[in-house]
Formats: sequence, C-alpha cells, structure tokens
Amino acid sequence: MIKHFYSYQVDIASVDIEIDSLNIEDHEKNHLKSLAESHIHHVVIDAVLSELDTEDKKTFMSYLNAKDHEKIWKFLHARLKNAEDTIEKAAAGIKKELLTDIRNERSK
Amino acid sequence: MAKDTALYQNLRDKWSTKHKELQKSLWEKHGNIIDDFVTGTRNFAIGSVSALMLLSSPVANNMLPPSTAITVQEEHLPVSKNVFLINDLSNILPQEVRPLTTDEESSVSAVLTRDFGVPISAELDGIRLNRSYGYIGAEQHLARYPGDTMATHFSTPSGPTPPEEIQKAYSSGMAPGLGGWGYFAPSATQMTQEDSDREKYYIAVQSFLAPGFADHTGEYIKFFKFRKMILVNPQNGKAIVVVIGDAGPAEWTGKSLGGSPEVMKYLERVDGKARGAVLYYFIDDPDNKIPLGPIDIK
Repeated sequence: MIKHFYSYQVDIASVDIEIDSLNIEDHEKNHLKSLAESHIHHVVIDAVLSELDTEDKKTFMSYLNAKDHEKIWKFLHARLKNAEDTIEKAAAGIKKELLTDIRNERSK
Repeated sequence: MAKDTALYQNLRDKWSTKHKELQKSLWEKHGNIIDDFVTGTRNFAIGSVSALMLLSSPVANNMLPPSTAITVQEEHLPVSKNVFLINDLSNILPQEVRPLTTDEESSVSAVLTRDFGVPISAELDGIRLNRSYGYIGAEQHLARYPGDTMATHFSTPSGPTPPEEIQKAYSSGMAPGLGGWGYFAPSATQMTQEDSDREKYYIAVQSFLAPGFADHTGEYIKFFKFRKMILVNPQNGKAIVVVIGDAGPAEWTGKSLGGSPEVMKYLERVDGKARGAVLYYFIDDPDNKIPLGPIDIK
C-alpha cells in the first residue's frame, strides 16, 4: 500500500471497510478506494500548503518529492503550530463526506 | 447475490466530480508553486520515479490541472502522463523482481484499470498465471502460415511493413518451431489482419505453471489461447496489448515470459544481462474491441 507522510495520522481503514462492505465487484471497490485515497491526499496537501508561505511551500514539496517523511515532519513542526491537528482535521472532514456518500447510496 | 452496479456507478460519478473540484481548488490556490516545482525538476523528473512525489496520489494523473483552471494551464506541465503511471507503480512495486502479493497485485490492477480505461486484472474467470510481474526475454518471429519465412514475414493483409520497421525487427529471425497454437492462419491468402497482429504482438507465458493447470489442462489451454493481455514496462510507463501466442520460457532461465521482437522493441526491453521486468495482466475484452499493439493512457 502507498504510504504517505501522514499515514500514521490519517487512518483510512474506516472508509476502506465501508467500501468493502458494498455489494460491488472487487475492481470497482479498488477503484473507489483509489478515489477516496486521492480525495484525502488532495485535501491534506491543500491544508498543509495553505498554512505555508511561498518559500516554505517549495521546501515542503521538495521533501515530499524525496519521500523524506522525517524531514517533512521536522519541517512542519518548525513551521506550523500543530501540524498533526491541521492534517487530522482536514482528513476527518473529507472522510466524513465520503462515508456519508457511501451510506446515502447504500440506503437508496 | 447480483452485484449492485448502479451503486458503484453513482458513487464513482459523484466522487469523480468531487475529485475534479478538489483538483481545481488545489491548483487555483497552489498551482503556481506546483507548476514551478515540476518545471524546476524537469531535467530529472522523467527518468526518476521519485521526482514527482507530490503528484503521487492514487489517481495522480487526475491531478493535472483541470481544463477550467485559470491559474495553470495543462500544457504548461512539462511531464507526460507516463510519468504519473511510473510514479504510482513505483509506490506499489517491490525493489526486487518477485511475485507480487495479493495486495500489490490488486493495487497495480486498480492503477492500470484507471489509467487505461479497460478492465485489467491478474485473474480472469478464476484463472491466473503463476505471476504477474517478472523478467521478460526476447522471442523470435513465428511463422504465421505454412511457408512464411523472413522474406515474406513483413507483408501483411493491410500492406507491406515500412522499411524502417523491418530493419528493426528483421535481425530477430524466425523461430524454428511453431507457436503454441500452431500457425496463425492456414495460408497467406487466408490470413487476416488479426492473424498477422497476433503474431506481431505475441508473448510466451509460463501457462504450464499456472495454478490448477495440471488438473484442468484442457480448460486452461482453451482459456490461454490468444488470450489478450497488457504488458507494462514500469520504468518508462509504456504499455502494449498482446496475446498469448506461445508457452515458455523454462523456469531455469530466470525469465517469466517472452515477448515478440516488436513487443520488446516497443517496451524498450532487451534480453541478457540488461533484461528488465514487466507487468503482465489480463484484459477483460469479451467483445474483442481493444486493438492489439501500443496503448496510451486515457
């Protein structure tokens, strides 16, 4: 599985479990999981970039590009008041939306 | 219980729309920075799978700026879609060339299905090969019909092959024996373009090592005969649609499959010490609509 620097903060298992419970084909489940994970990825990156100034954004991206999770966290801790909180809140919002979508569709 | 196709389609459509909105928002807010970063890494991004990690979401190719974005235009991005595929695969594939785990296999399947827009899987109708990722070796041309030789081999029902293509493929020579299914056509005059393409874009796989082969040999042979597959070179993102045309190579060679000269050329793979690995997955194409040959990311 793809490991992001925020994988320890953002647990997407709840979304995966919900998708797994759907009565759809396996490849369809995989597609929905990919979409869900990408939603979360976009939201997390957006949330982090929104908290940084231009130069810091560039630095963050270079660490992200290098997959250097340790440097990313060191950097984020130095620049943001509560990096974990920012990421967790952003991810929680989109996860809630995704779960609501699944439940709404299932109840139709 | 019948699968709920509508449920999937509704969610897919809803999430795809939402995904575009997220892309648009991200690019409107930070597109200039992302664009500068990608442009700045241009010299090594194409050759390095680690150079675009920012864009390594599971549907990374969709992170290209939407056409309606006003801050960044798509044409400003200096990278091809292949880079995103390379990057996504690099996040899944192991460092060493070994059989993939079930999770790895299904992640690859999801990425390929998404990028090429056709159902792609390691298992079809309950049948799978011994692996889906392995070293590929070079095969020779196969006789398409009785009497087909290197002198006639590049003549097809749609016309002669361009001289430059002949030059590239001629040196591989003709295999002394026939392919696994015999001739592709009964005679030169009866050969169709499909017959010719099947030889041009064939692979040899270790069908004899497929789980269950010994117990269901007849059924498996029927399944594997000219079965359509997709081959992907994970290092350059090039992909090609092929058919299973032969069995092999032997296990002791250390290779897991073989490709026709045209397949090897397109994927930029070679035999010998410089050999490399490819992904090989089944394509579910019951109506035979997907043409053989190179396939581009959608």
